[in-house]
Amino acid sequence: MRVSHLGRRALLFTASLLFSLYVLAPVAWLVSSSFQSEAEITSVPPHWLPSEPTAENFRAIFTASDKVVTYENRKQGDTATGGYIPSTASHLLPAMWNSLVVALAVVVLNLLVSVPAAYALAKIRFIGRKSSIYFMLATRVIPDIALVVPFFLFIQKLGLLDNLGSLVITYLAITVPFSIFILTGYFESLPDELDKAARVDGCSRLQTLLLVFLPLALPSLVAVVLFTFLTSWNEFLLALMFTQTQASQTMPIVVASFTSDFSISFSFINAAGVLAIVPPVIIAVLFERYIVSGLTAGAVKG
Amino acid sequence: MRNPVAALRSALRHPVSAYDQKSAMWLLTPMVVVLMIVAVFPVVYSFWISLYDLKLTRPHRVPFVWLGNYLKVFQDPLFWDSVARTFSFTVMSVAAIMLIALLMALLLNEEFRGRRVLSAILLIPWAIPYVANGLMWKWIYDSGYGALNGLLLQLGLIDKYIVMLGDVDKTLGLITNAFVWKEVPLATILLLVTLKSIRADLYSAAKVDGANVWQRFVHITLPALVPGFALVMIYETMMAIRHFDLFFILTEGGPAEASHVLAWQVYVETFRKLSFGTGAALAYIMAIVTFTLAFFIIRSTSRKL
Repeated sequence: MRVSHLGRRALLFTASLLFSLYVLAPVAWLVSSSFQSEAEITSVPPHWLPSEPTAENFRAIFTASDKVVTYENRKQGDTATGGYIPSTASHLLPAMWNSLVVALAVVVLNLLVSVPAAYALAKIRFIGRKSSIYFMLATRVIPDIALVVPFFLFIQKLGLLDNLGSLVITYLAITVPFSIFILTGYFESLPDELDKAARVDGCSRLQTLLLVFLPLALPSLVAVVLFTFLTSWNEFLLALMFTQTQASQTMPIVVASFTSDFSISFSFINAAGVLAIVPPVIIAVLFERYIVSGLTAGAVKG
Repeated sequence: MRNPVAALRSALRHPVSAYDQKSAMWLLTPMVVVLMIVAVFPVVYSFWISLYDLKLTRPHRVPFVWLGNYLKVFQDPLFWDSVARTFSFTVMSVAAIMLIALLMALLLNEEFRGRRVLSAILLIPWAIPYVANGLMWKWIYDSGYGALNGLLLQLGLIDKYIVMLGDVDKTLGLITNAFVWKEVPLATILLLVTLKSIRADLYSAAKVDGANVWQRFVHITLPALVPGFALVMIYETMMAIRHFDLFFILTEGGPAEASHVLAWQVYVETFRKLSFGTGAALAYIMAIVTFTLAFFIIRSTSRKL
């Protein structure tokens, strides 16, 4: 018994180690190389841990000024010290701000649309309920790539190209169905008697939703807010189509543009990558319970 | 819905009040308006565009070509190559995701100290943006200074650094690996829920009957996991077929079209060749494939709702 217990612990320990290694090693390497100078990251074989840690790459992001890269000055940066930063470096912080604005706007609009719809689908019996559910589910599976061409022409006609508004509108398409889905499942799990009691006490439907169900649905609301925020913060394809200049470029677009710059400095790109993953990773680790319960609620049903 | 007579009878027994009907309509209005604008309209409009030879390079002459764009797509050998590549990317990804997620879910289903930490870090790949994921792997795979080359060299598996993403035989496999790493957490969570729903008394009964660990796994765990596997398979297949971000960041469809998948072809047709009609037709074909897959999800879902 004692031996099998020990064997089990050894097995669990090894498995946990492999698990953590698989999940964390790539990220750890990204973080480690973001603190190395360009000279150090180009050593062969690589230094797994920085021997001379430097925050120079991060400083470059925060102090980057708009510089025009021409043929003459393209080699001005010193590659050996990591001073070889992309011409679009100064766009990163404004882009993160854009991402934040878009994500918050999408979160608010998304809640305004999803909460009432989910309540109606879960708690009210009405003619057309079943077809409304089918409608919502069908919109959930439209691939984003199929929306690109019609959205582009539509947004172009509205004159909203290169405008944050175009991103807010289109992100609703990829977040609303999923939010309604999670919320409907959660509202359904709350007892019908609550609904009946509130109605007997003279609450209107809207009051029942706002005063009775909304406070109880807080965990699922948190999950919906987190999903919507992360989806908008991370979205790339649509942003790539609709943004052209700094006015509307979001974080993923600017980070991606670093790779296509003709003078790639990986030390700088790694630092930008670290900045890009810090907010979502913090959110994910802090709110792990909410996210997991939301994901399972959303997924088990579809 | 199964039986119209039963449905009618239940409707008569619980008549819908006019107030409920009205308030439901009001509560649903924002959703219907938003989804009409951002989902239904684009899908219909997209089909309409796909019937025209719309090229932004000559915006003033837009002939109506019926299904000409679709014919053109189907006659293009590159399309069929992309289909084959998308297919192998999808099959490799889904198989790897299911295997790794199964192992991880089995581990997280055990009770031990540190389990909470593991489930928290599991969300990290899920949460980071695909663009950052792409950059990270691009750096790991770098042929000159990448960590993968360094690791293989230190392990003595290679004598000198080798070409990674630039090698037509390796590209798709390497992109698959980056995709799998990011998708595994969600699949693990889904499988874990299914594992948790297995009744403990099944295992104790099997133990009493003398079944060993392996027999219990094969005869109880695996059959119980079938719904979870089906869900993961359908969902991840949909995600893999439409995946675009990593192909853009890592290879741009190259080298020599070795990673030219369907999603990348939509992008090339639309935004490089500015041939919106063909792009819309391609995207429509992808949407139909996805819808066919999703039909199965919707059917299994509506049974529960």
